[in-house]
Amino acid sequence: MPLDRKIAYIDLTTGDIQTKPIPLDVRKKFLGGRGLDAYLLYNHTKKGCDPIGPNNTLMVSGGILTATCASATARTHVMAKSPLTGLLGSANMGGFFAPEMAWAGFHHLVIKGKAKHPVYIYIHNGEIEIRDARDIWGKSVTDSQWALREDLGDQEVKSLVCGPAGENLVRFANVMTGIKNSGGRSGMGCVLGSKNLKAVSVRGTMDIKIARPKEALEYNKRFIDQIVSAKVNQTQGALGTPFIWGATNSWGGIRCRNFQYNQCEYADDIEPERIDEICEETMGPYHMTGCFGCQVHCRAQYKIPEGPYAGVYDEGPEYTSQGAFGGETDTPRAITVLTGNHLVDKYGMDNLETGSLISWAMELYELGIITSKETDGLDLRFGNDEAVIEMIDRIAFRKGWLGDTLAEGGIPASEKIGKNSFDYLIQVKGMSNLHSDERATPGLALNIATGSRGSDHLRSRPAIDLYHLPEPVLRKIYSNPVPYDGPLSSEHTEYIGKPWQVFWQENCYMGVDCLGICKYHTTFLGATLPNFEDWSKVIYYNTGLEMTPEEIWDVAVRCNMIERLFNLREGLTRDDLKKGDMLNHRYFDEPCRRGAIDVVGKKIDKEKFIKMIDEFYEHKGLDKNGVPTPERLKKLGLNKEPSHLL
Amino acid sequence: MTIEKEGLSTAESLRKTRTYGKFRCHNPTCMERIQPEKGKKTAKCPTCGMEYRVHWVNPKLPRIRGPVWDVNRKLAEAKLKELGVT
Repeated sequence: MPLDRKIAYIDLTTGDIQTKPIPLDVRKKFLGGRGLDAYLLYNHTKKGCDPIGPNNTLMVSGGILTATCASATARTHVMAKSPLTGLLGSANMGGFFAPEMAWAGFHHLVIKGKAKHPVYIYIHNGEIEIRDARDIWGKSVTDSQWALREDLGDQEVKSLVCGPAGENLVRFANVMTGIKNSGGRSGMGCVLGSKNLKAVSVRGTMDIKIARPKEALEYNKRFIDQIVSAKVNQTQGALGTPFIWGATNSWGGIRCRNFQYNQCEYADDIEPERIDEICEETMGPYHMTGCFGCQVHCRAQYKIPEGPYAGVYDEGPEYTSQGAFGGETDTPRAITVLTGNHLVDKYGMDNLETGSLISWAMELYELGIITSKETDGLDLRFGNDEAVIEMIDRIAFRKGWLGDTLAEGGIPASEKIGKNSFDYLIQVKGMSNLHSDERATPGLALNIATGSRGSDHLRSRPAIDLYHLPEPVLRKIYSNPVPYDGPLSSEHTEYIGKPWQVFWQENCYMGVDCLGICKYHTTFLGATLPNFEDWSKVIYYNTGLEMTPEEIWDVAVRCNMIERLFNLREGLTRDDLKKGDMLNHRYFDEPCRRGAIDVVGKKIDKEKFIKMIDEFYEHKGLDKNGVPTPERLKKLGLNKEPSHLL
Repeated sequence: MTIEKEGLSTAESLRKTRTYGKFRCHNPTCMERIQPEKGKKTAKCPTCGMEYRVHWVNPKLPRIRGPVWDVNRKLAEAKLKELGVT
């Protein structure tokens, strides 16, 4: 029958491997992907466990729709306790890995323990083995994948790997598939490194049964038409995700010089159109490619045009690299962005965290909080392109005092640097903010403050808030699938109605992460893209599971709540600047200095912001301290967790 | 259950709200719809005075590439002065 999918438990300490079917009642409660991983994390990880110790449990998964006839089911999800934040660690990436894992017989892996020496896990048509990886340890992300294919004698093998950064226990190391598909944020590559696990390799030719293949294919045509006709996806297909950074920089919503400016002026050389020109010059007119089953093709390909890495091939850069190695460090030069992007891909390291920490260190350097003694003579002023590239290397290999210090993550680094360095660190829950500046957008500020894995745009950002959609359109979107008759405002500089939008988006993104679909195929950047109603049909036609849009919403609320339970168990408290739902004081104290006329002067009103958090908590069913009420837990069926059903 | 109902979903029904050939001014309290002349590389907001560089993704789809930097800086500095921000 459809949905007869399996989970595997792999203990790297003992070598024990067990497999089980995933029961239907568990599916109905958590669907799959990130949602089911959150359940598994809460059940299989003990309170207070060392994130880089053998007791941290690592989940790798595909969504409930992975490898079916549905569109863009490419996403792989990875979850564990985060070595960066000590709270929820979660990463999601595109590419081809999760579908291959599904064809190899598994939708979820639960990996425990620590191997005695470097190993990799190989999964092939229902079989799982643990193999020696000592010869592969030390290789870059891409070289590792070539070596694994060589070792297995199969060029179709897909591998999820950690690079040198993960091996060196850089706290924000990525897991990677392909050349640049990054499971970034929160340090999941560091967890692999801590387990002596170099990679998970998969190869499968098993069938995925489709419940109603004819209807699934018919409906997918409709779904695809909805996706490719959206203006936002047409733009992505032409310019890739850099268009997001370009648009945001245009009105003054990005960070520049750490947090001193909210716009990187005269940034023409890293605008998406210029990046696209370089891609075309080095790779030809057909330089856009895509992930499994996706029609958008938002991923650019390029060769570095000049400098010490001239001619080296890579993919992207995504908008995050423009922000990390262009805007934040005030080095708006394409060569720096493209080289920086390549290096973090090669080493398997989070671009956002890396760029943020370098720009933070640059501000500390200019303020005299750190000096050339800490930088080992490196001139770390803003605008120094060579220093940015050098620091990426130093962090990945923990070279020098500062490289080693930043590799520990922002909060530990601030404790080591001392003085008032923490005041300048733009982070939430220990994770650096991405490259955006939310001082003019209270809804987006609420999103980063309350995101389950830290300061993050992919967990609850109401990005369509920026489009000035008419109130009736907003109401159509945000009153579905559950009714909402509270206030909504088209003004993105307003506070009214934003808590509901953030709550709605939190559930929308959890839904899409449970399905295993890309966020560019839902209500993230496009107001007319599919969500709960559409998913209800896609799930039914592909898996046979009958769920109404309201039931899918309930699953998303439940899965978000179990992530909250995990964070609370690990010490989240509401107003804690290091582990809570609170922003750096600069959001409230320092006004925007650049951008569109009416962005200039904007900062977040703290009193209104706190009221927004109160309202957001009410929507989520949390009390004033951010702790779930017993009634809400009971309603969601979470009052007996951990329940150890799986 | 309603799963097999053939009607349009909310997201599908919103397609008719899409507009082509225009973009909105990036100034948040303005957000005027601006229709740049076909193929033109710059456009000025008739309401608030912001000036933009324009990129054409395709002949029907213009986007703001970025502000005209000199105008942008001048307007920002005037606003900072007005607000008394040093």
